[in-house]
Amino acid sequence: MPESGDVIILGWADLLIATVLVVIAGMVSVALRIRLEKQLAIATIRTVVQLLLIGYVLRMVFELDHPVGVLAIMLVMLAAASHAAVRRSSRTFPGDMTLAFGTLLLTGFVTTFTVTSLIIGVEPWFRPQYVIPLVGMILGNGLTGISLCLDNILESLVKRRNEVEMELAHGASKWEAAVGPLSEGVRRGMIPIINSMMVVGIVSLPGMMTGQILANTDPAEAVKYQIVVMFMLAAATSIGCMVMALLIYWRCFNTHHQLKDEFILTRKG
Amino acid sequence: MLDINNLAVMAGGITLVRGFSVYLKRGELVALAGPSGSGKTTLLRTIAGLVDPAEGQILLDDRTPEQHEWPRFRRRVILVQQRPTVFEGSVEDNLKRPFRYRSAGKAYSRDDAVRLLETFLIEPERLTQEARSLSEGQQQRICLVRALLLEPDVLLLDEPTSALDASAIEAVESLLREEVTRRKAGALIVTHDEQQADRWCDRTIHLDREDRNA
Repeated sequence: MPESGDVIILGWADLLIATVLVVIAGMVSVALRIRLEKQLAIATIRTVVQLLLIGYVLRMVFELDHPVGVLAIMLVMLAAASHAAVRRSSRTFPGDMTLAFGTLLLTGFVTTFTVTSLIIGVEPWFRPQYVIPLVGMILGNGLTGISLCLDNILESLVKRRNEVEMELAHGASKWEAAVGPLSEGVRRGMIPIINSMMVVGIVSLPGMMTGQILANTDPAEAVKYQIVVMFMLAAATSIGCMVMALLIYWRCFNTHHQLKDEFILTRKG
Repeated sequence: MLDINNLAVMAGGITLVRGFSVYLKRGELVALAGPSGSGKTTLLRTIAGLVDPAEGQILLDDRTPEQHEWPRFRRRVILVQQRPTVFEGSVEDNLKRPFRYRSAGKAYSRDDAVRLLETFLIEPERLTQEARSLSEGQQQRICLVRALLLEPDVLLLDEPTSALDASAIEAVESLLREEVTRRKAGALIVTHDEQQADRWCDRTIHLDREDRNA
């Protein structure tokens, strides 16, 4: 365990020791016959490979210190996040991934650059050490939010089709008929971030703050960053859910004020 | 009043009804009869403007739904679905609901609601009761009252007595006829019961036969 300044650097041997912890989890699976060993093994390998890869990629981007590298890695993260966002929903419709991509692009970039430029004052604007982790956190939370929102709205439009059509059939405009399911979806999407804001610091110490404390930042200083991050995530998630809801509305209702629910499909597998 | 010309309706890529025409006059009740699967419900949904026809035209007082604006057209040509759709909340919340829409054009009147509920054999005390706790037959009548309160020009009723017992069926038939005549409205009523169609309506259009034009 060599030390660099005050930060303890982990060696490969340390990682090997940590692997014992996963092996314990595997032994629990075998002992209780819950048959998760294979998935656990795959998950372990994926964790190692994905994190090693991103570690080296990030090192390259940091060394490159050029906006193209930062933007390229942001786009890859964005594509992965939008894929994950729609995969989590049990319903799907043509173009949902593009809508998720657009939503995350808008909220991710706008919120990140608002924070880095206006609050933290990062110079130059693309400094990867700041921009990439912040985008990662926004996308991670944003995708949870918008996938819950998407899933909830599509489910409502299919299961509560009679209610939506009853409203339309009595003279409601498409907005008047849709606003109930849409706001419920946005509410569902925002609950996780609000819940984590409620317990932050009491039940959990967020990853970013933990990381800064491990890297020897004064906890009182790390907290300030964490506050900014929590507010940033709240803004990004709420804007993301709202944009997603509006895009679904735009896609699922036509100019004749009809619900086009026939192209909302159940995801197979 | 309601002029339907050469309508073709589709569901799931299959044409269910082709060449359907009817002219509905004020004060008239017309039955749409036919076996299940003959497209009665889809036809009614199409006339209500919830789905577009594959071909043909719907005119209300010589104007298309676009010319009326879709919500305003639907507020005048109200579809009451077969399966009663009531929302969480009291009976009165449910009756008030359509008056929130911009197209409503009038205010909710509790007196009218009480009168209609009594007409449809529902005690006015039930206004404060949770609508979803009522029986299906009561919910079906609540849905009819909700539509009638808006005073539509045309009522499109999909099997409106399917959940009612014999005595309630008789009452609803005569009361709906009275309301329609009194308000000079019209009604297109889907039923699979030919006897009901003969007894209740001025004429019947059979969807399983070629002579569907009337």
